[in-house]
Amino acid sequence: MTGFVNPCAPEDAPIVGRNSPRLDSTVKVTGRAVYTVDIEKPGMLHAKVLRSPHAHARILSIDAAAARSLPGVTAVVTREEITGLNSYGTYVKDQPVVATESVRYVGDVVAAVAAVDERTAFAALDLISVQYEQLPAVFDVRAAMEPSAPAIFPDQPFAAYPEYGDGASGAAHTAHNVSYEFRYETGEESVWADCDYIFEDTFTFSRMNHMHLEPFATVAEATANEIEVWTSTQSPFPMRKELARVFGLPENDVRVNVPLLGGGFGAKNGPKTEAIAIRLSQLSAGRPVRYCMSTEEVFLTLSQHDAILTVKSGLKADGEFMARQSRVLLNGGAYADASPLVAEKAGYRMPGAYRWKRIDSVCQAVITNSVPAGAYRGFGATQATWASERQVDLIAERLGFDPLELRLKNAKELGEEFVPGESPIDSDLKHGLNLVADAIGYRDRTRSSNRGMGVAIGIKDGGGVNKPAQARVKVTTNGDVFLNCALVEMGQGGHSALCQIVAETLACDPKRVKYAAIDTDNTPFDQGTNASSGIAVMGHAVLQAAERVKCSVLDTAAEHLMLDRQSIRLDNWHIVDAEGTTYELPPLIMDRFGGTGFEFTADGYYKVRNSSSAPLEAPCIFWEIGWAAAEVEVDPETGRVELLQLVVSGDAGKVVNKLGCRGQDEGAAVFGLAQALFEELRYEDGELLNGEALLYRVPLAEDIPRLFSSITQEQGHGAGPFGTKGMGEGGMLPIAPAIAQAIADATGAQLTSLPMTPERVYNGIRAARLRQGGADGNA
Amino acid sequence: MSLESPESSEERFAHKVEFELNGSPERHCVPTSATVLDLLRNSCGKQGVRASCERSVCGACTVLVDDLPVAACSTFAFDVDGTRVETVEGLAAQDGTLSAQQQAFRECGGFQCGFCTSGMLMLTTALLRQNPQPERDQIREWISSNTCRCTGYEMILESVERAAELASAKQQDQVSE
Ligand code: FES
Ligand code: FES
Repeated sequence: MTGFVNPCAPEDAPIVGRNSPRLDSTVKVTGRAVYTVDIEKPGMLHAKVLRSPHAHARILSIDAAAARSLPGVTAVVTREEITGLNSYGTYVKDQPVVATESVRYVGDVVAAVAAVDERTAFAALDLISVQYEQLPAVFDVRAAMEPSAPAIFPDQPFAAYPEYGDGASGAAHTAHNVSYEFRYETGEESVWADCDYIFEDTFTFSRMNHMHLEPFATVAEATANEIEVWTSTQSPFPMRKELARVFGLPENDVRVNVPLLGGGFGAKNGPKTEAIAIRLSQLSAGRPVRYCMSTEEVFLTLSQHDAILTVKSGLKADGEFMARQSRVLLNGGAYADASPLVAEKAGYRMPGAYRWKRIDSVCQAVITNSVPAGAYRGFGATQATWASERQVDLIAERLGFDPLELRLKNAKELGEEFVPGESPIDSDLKHGLNLVADAIGYRDRTRSSNRGMGVAIGIKDGGGVNKPAQARVKVTTNGDVFLNCALVEMGQGGHSALCQIVAETLACDPKRVKYAAIDTDNTPFDQGTNASSGIAVMGHAVLQAAERVKCSVLDTAAEHLMLDRQSIRLDNWHIVDAEGTTYELPPLIMDRFGGTGFEFTADGYYKVRNSSSAPLEAPCIFWEIGWAAAEVEVDPETGRVELLQLVVSGDAGKVVNKLGCRGQDEGAAVFGLAQALFEELRYEDGELLNGEALLYRVPLAEDIPRLFSSITQEQGHGAGPFGTKGMGEGGMLPIAPAIAQAIADATGAQLTSLPMTPERVYNGIRAARLRQGGADGNA
Repeated sequence: MSLESPESSEERFAHKVEFELNGSPERHCVPTSATVLDLLRNSCGKQGVRASCERSVCGACTVLVDDLPVAACSTFAFDVDGTRVETVEGLAAQDGTLSAQQQAFRECGGFQCGFCTSGMLMLTTALLRQNPQPERDQIREWISSNTCRCTGYEMILESVERAAELASAKQQDQVSE
C-alpha cells in the first residue's frame, strides 16, 4: 500500500472551508450528547472527598473508623491506603493521590469515601476526624522565595524535564520553593550599551478559574491488576501513562475512555478525579465508582497562574527595539501540575511579536500554599503578552510615539524567524494590526474626552512541542467511514473539522464519516488535545490516513476493473474513469473479497523533526496570532469602563469550518475581556473569597460590547493540511492589553495590574493627573 | 445531585408528584429534598438536562415549568406537581425534525462544548413564546441569565434571532397550508 500526502487543497475544495454546521450539532441541540457526567454503570458507587481546612499543616492523625463502618460506605481512602502509589505531575511528580505527611493548601484532599449514594458519602466524611498541626503558610510568590519562608516540600520531589536546544535551559528546584525555572537567552549582552533608552516596568497578572461547565468527573472500574476509566480529560494517552505510573501497572492494563467534554480550556490535563475514583473502586471489590466534583471543588482543584513580570527594554532614539530582559514569577500554587510547561512558555514568549537583538528571559514557577495552577487557555502567553504589550504602550507614551506605529515599526516580517533555530513567522503581523485598527476606525477617530482606543497583538508558538499524532481511517464495503484518533472534542469543533478533512479526501459526504469513540486500547496514539494542535498536527495524520485509504481503494479498483490507476478517481463511493464512466464500489468489493466484503484501513502519522538548534526541542509547527482593537469610554468619576467596540482577529491560514474558527476567536476574546475587566479569583491572606458560582463573576451576554466582531483571516501560510493553522488561544492574548491602552488613551491612566476594576482605573486616573500636574509644574 | 440509592434507607420517598413531561404524563414518588434536576435526570431519564453549578447561577439546567424558565437544580421536585414541564428532549418533532430553535443554533453555531445548550434552547423557547419577534436588547437580557463559557455569546444571540425568523416562517407556512 503506498500513500502520499498532498499538502494543497484541491482546486475547488467542496467540503473544507464550507460554512456548514458542525457534525456534532444534532446531538448537542437535541440533548443526546453524552459527557462523562452522564456515564452510569450498574452498581455504581459515588465518591466524595474531605479537604483540608488549613493552608499548611502537618497531619498528625486520621481516624476514619466510624466512616468505614457507616452502612452504605464501601471504601475510605486515606494516606494509609495509598502506600506504594506514586505521586503525579507533569515534569515534577509532587502530587499524591491524597495528602500524606502534610496538607499544602486549603482544599488539599485528605481522604475520600465511596458509598452507595452521594448523601451517604457526605455523611461518612463528617465522621472522619483529622488532627493537624498548623504550619506557617505563604501565599505571595516573592515571600515564598525568601529563605525564611516555610519549605512547602522539605524533600525535593522526583522531576524529569527535557533537554532544550540553543539558548534555552530549564531545571527543577533552582531556588527556595521554586518548582521549575526556565531560561532563554540569545544575542550579545553588549547590545544594551547601544540603547538610547532603557525602561524597566513591573506588571501583575491575575488568576482566573477555568469554569468549564462540565466539572471534573470520572467513572472508574478497577481491581489491583486492571483499570478502566471513563473520564473528562483532554489527554487520553498522557492520562493512561500517568495512571499506569501512579498505580504501578503496565499501560495495557489501563484503559481510558473519553466521551465528549463540556469544556476544558486547559484544565483537563493530568489526573484530577481519576486516581481517587480508581483507588476507591479497587477497595470496593471493583465496583464502579463515580467521582464528580461540585463547582466549589473545581475552584479548589486548579487555576490559572497569577504572575509578577518585570520587563526591561532598550531602544534606539528612533523607536527601534534593541534588547529585552524579563524576570517572571508565576504563582504555581501548592503542586507543580503543568507549572514547568507554563514557565517554559511564559519565558519563551516574552519577546512578543517584535524583533530584538538581545533577549534574556528567566521564568520561575513558585510553590505557594494556594490552589495549584496549571494549563490555562493561552498558556504562559497570556501572562507574557500582558506585560510585553503593556510595556510597548508605556514606552510609546514616554517617547511620544503612536502605539500602533511603534508596533508596526518593530513587528517581525512574515518569514522572519522568531528566535534563532525557531520556525519563521507564518502570518503577516502588520497586516493583521492594520486590519483590526481600521475595523474600529483607529486612524480616523475624532478625539472626544473619556473615549480612547488601543490595539494589541499576541503571539504564541502553536501545536505543542515535540508532539506526534497518529490516526486511522477505515471504510466499509458500503463506503461508511470511521475516523479513529484521540483528538478530544471539548467544544472546539475538532471532531467535525477532522471528519471534514477525511470527507474532502475521500470525496464523500461528511455525514458519512463517524468519529469513533476514544478508547486507549483501540484508538491510535496521540499526545493530547492541547496547544491548538488539532488541525495543524492531528490534521496531518488524518489527511495521510485518508490519502492512504483512498490509494488502497483506487489500487484495488484499478486492478479489478483493469483501468489505468492514474486515470481513475473516487467520487461518493464510486469510481470515475477518464471518460466519466462511473462504477459502483460495493459490488466490486463484494466480488473481490467475497463474504461480508472488506474494510479498507490505513494509518497516518505526523511529527515535526526535532532539532538541537530549536530552543524547545523542535521548531514550532505554526504561530498562533491574536490581534485586537478596542474602544472604551471611561467614567472618570467612578472609574467604570464601558467597552464600546471590540474587534478580534486570528489567522486560520485556511478555514476548514467557518463557524468553528469564528467561535474559537470570539470565545477566546471573551475570556480575555473578562480577565481585563472583572473576572478574578480573589484571595485574602491566602483564603479564596469567591470560590463558588454565585460569587465568581464570569462574563454574561450583557458584558459583551454591542459592537463585537471577529475577523477570520486566511493568509494561507500555515503548515497544517491545506495551509491551515491552529485556533483557539490566540484570540485571548491581545484583549487585555488592547483594552488597557484604550483606557490609557481615554484618560491617561496607565494600568499595570489586572483586572482593571473601577477602583484601579479611578486610582490610575488620579495618578495620571498628578503626573500631569507634576510635569506642568516642572515646565 | 443528591443521587438516592435504594440501598440507602436514610430518607422516605414521601411525595407523590404528577406532572406532564414533554406532553406525556409522569408519576413519581420523591424524597422531600429531591430537586427537579434529580427527578428529570435520574427518575425520568432526561439526561439532556445538564447540571453544572447546582446553585441557580449558570442556567445549564434550565427547563420550562408552565412555559417559564426554571433552574431545575434549585427547584424542589414536589413543586412541579400538577405542572407542565418541558425539557430539550421535547423540542424536536416525533419524527426527529428539529424545532426552529434547534435548527437555528445548529446553523449559526450557537454552541461549542454543548453543555450550556439545552438550557440556552429552553430559554430561547420561553422567550419566543412571550415575544415571537424579540429585539437584540431583549435577547441579550434574557440570555444573560445563563452562562456559556465557550462561545463568547455573539453566536448565541444570532442563533436566537435566527430562531425567531425560522419560527415565524414556519408559522406562515402553516397558515398558508
Ligand atoms: S446547574 Fe442549575 S443553575 Fe447551574
Ligand atoms: S457551549 Fe460550552 S458552555 Fe456554552
